[in-house]
Amino acid sequence: MLRINSVRKLYKDLEVIRNVSFDVSDGEFLSLLGPSGCGKSTLLMMVTGLIEVSGGQISINGEAVSGPRREVGVVFQQPVLLPWRTVLDNVLFPIELLNLSRAQYKDRAMELLSMAKIDDFAHHLPRQLSGGMRQRASICRALIHDPSILLMDEPFSALDAITRDEMGVELLRIWQANRKTVIFVTHSIREAAFLSDRVLVMGRRPATIVDEVAIDLPRPRQIAMMEDEGFNRYVRRLRKAIEASHAS
Amino acid sequence: MQAKLRSILVDLAWPVLITIAMLASWEIAVRVLGIRSIILPPPSEVFEAIIARRELLLTHLWPSLYLTVLGFALSVVGGVLVAILITYSTIVRKGFYPVIVVSQVIPKISIAPLFIVWFGTGTMSSLLLAVLIAFFPMTINAAMGFQTIDEDIHRMARTFMGSRWQIFWKIRMPNALPYIFGGMKISITLAIIGVIVSEFVASQEGIGYLIKLAGGLLDTPLMMAAITMLSISGLALYGLIVIAEEHAVYWQAPSDIGAGGGG
Ligand SMILES: Nc1ncnc2c1ncn2[C@@H]1O[C@H](COP(=O)(O)OP(=O)(O)OP(=O)(O)O)[C@@H](O)[C@H]1O
Ligand SMILES: [Mg+2]
Repeated sequence: MLRINSVRKLYKDLEVIRNVSFDVSDGEFLSLLGPSGCGKSTLLMMVTGLIEVSGGQISINGEAVSGPRREVGVVFQQPVLLPWRTVLDNVLFPIELLNLSRAQYKDRAMELLSMAKIDDFAHHLPRQLSGGMRQRASICRALIHDPSILLMDEPFSALDAITRDEMGVELLRIWQANRKTVIFVTHSIREAAFLSDRVLVMGRRPATIVDEVAIDLPRPRQIAMMEDEGFNRYVRRLRKAIEASHAS
Repeated sequence: MQAKLRSILVDLAWPVLITIAMLASWEIAVRVLGIRSIILPPPSEVFEAIIARRELLLTHLWPSLYLTVLGFALSVVGGVLVAILITYSTIVRKGFYPVIVVSQVIPKISIAPLFIVWFGTGTMSSLLLAVLIAFFPMTINAAMGFQTIDEDIHRMARTFMGSRWQIFWKIRMPNALPYIFGGMKISITLAIIGVIVSEFVASQEGIGYLIKLAGGLLDTPLMMAAITMLSISGLALYGLIVIAEEHAVYWQAPSDIGAGGGG
């Protein structure tokens, strides 16, 4: 279990996050939904241990986070692939950094790539791939060392709307097969509602959690579901929560 | 492969044609205007001189090339090492780096006579002058390459628990390669200049010495033959670096720079 307990963050005098607390249970898909600049990335980076908290604690399975950890995989807003490595070598990059055997993980890398439908491009360089394919490769990279927690910071925001929906479906397929704990940052209301078990709505800076919405929709979820009244009820509910936080 | 060879040949066609045209007009102009070869020998005469005096030319070309390559190699190795220091040591970066950059305004060729006072006439002075002027562009370029790594890439490597050592070898080094090759292309040209200039002022051998000597003897065809040999060697060295670069920096998209249309 991942626990965020009364976390605060100050950049010099600028208070970015004020007293945020929530738990994420194992295997849960949680989204953080909030306006631009409210501190979502900052919160996520604190979970990775790259940024220190100014107050409160973050703990994983009871252990305080004080630096990057093996059981965490991260997908960034941009794919951030190394241009001089093939897709396969990019996916194996965390394995090298962890001083694990590349040979041992190669099959797993190919499996992940075929799950993400880019195995044909395993030996291509990133510049030969489309933006969506690169982001899929970066998801494979985040999963290669089998982390139990996957942190995703607006991973699809650079993609067009159609690719974005497709990527969401694929992400759910991969998640269903692996059952990681996921924290997914987005400012798309529909995306949050479509993907998550639970959505936390964050208010303007200094960020607090203004609302929490459990999404009780059946899985596996299909794109067609976005037409359903049940889905749209959640969308309206989330939109209201965001608007309320702006008004205050 | 065949297509690549074809495109190289097509790219070469125009420059080669233009060079031939220029040489031809030079030849014709010299003959028609009756210019004496002491002033400007026609290309045919320069070519004859190269053939006839190839032994003399080669005896003087080798030491110059040797010093150039040695000076260049020292500059590259030294430049990369100093660049690593600049990248990792705050004192070097904050203290020495600005001094290095500012010292670039000194016209280093003007130091040549001073080197002769210190190190005498001969290979040592030539080598040191070559290193002196080839070293700094190399250092500055490499330092830039090691330091301008993408912030996102750095963060990514750290979240996956990369150590400083791993980040150096797996990220900074490949990132710096294009910059290092850029520096090498500047350095090789400067190393040649350094060697030739010091041979002008103080040496009993080398192609620079031969050029000066031929000038004194008013043997213009020999002088131009020496210059031609030097240019061809310089071009060859530069070409080797470009070929090495294409293999080492394989990931960069082949770009076709230029505003012109066509093709
Ligand atoms: N290193 C830093 N130093 C000072 N202020 C910072 C720093 N990083 C972020 N901030 C500030 O913290 C606030 C939150 O930034 P953050 O990147 O976490 O927002 P975000 O919610 O991820 O926004 P977006 O949706 O646009 O990505 C911003 O107002 C930003 O100016
Ligand atoms: Mg952000």
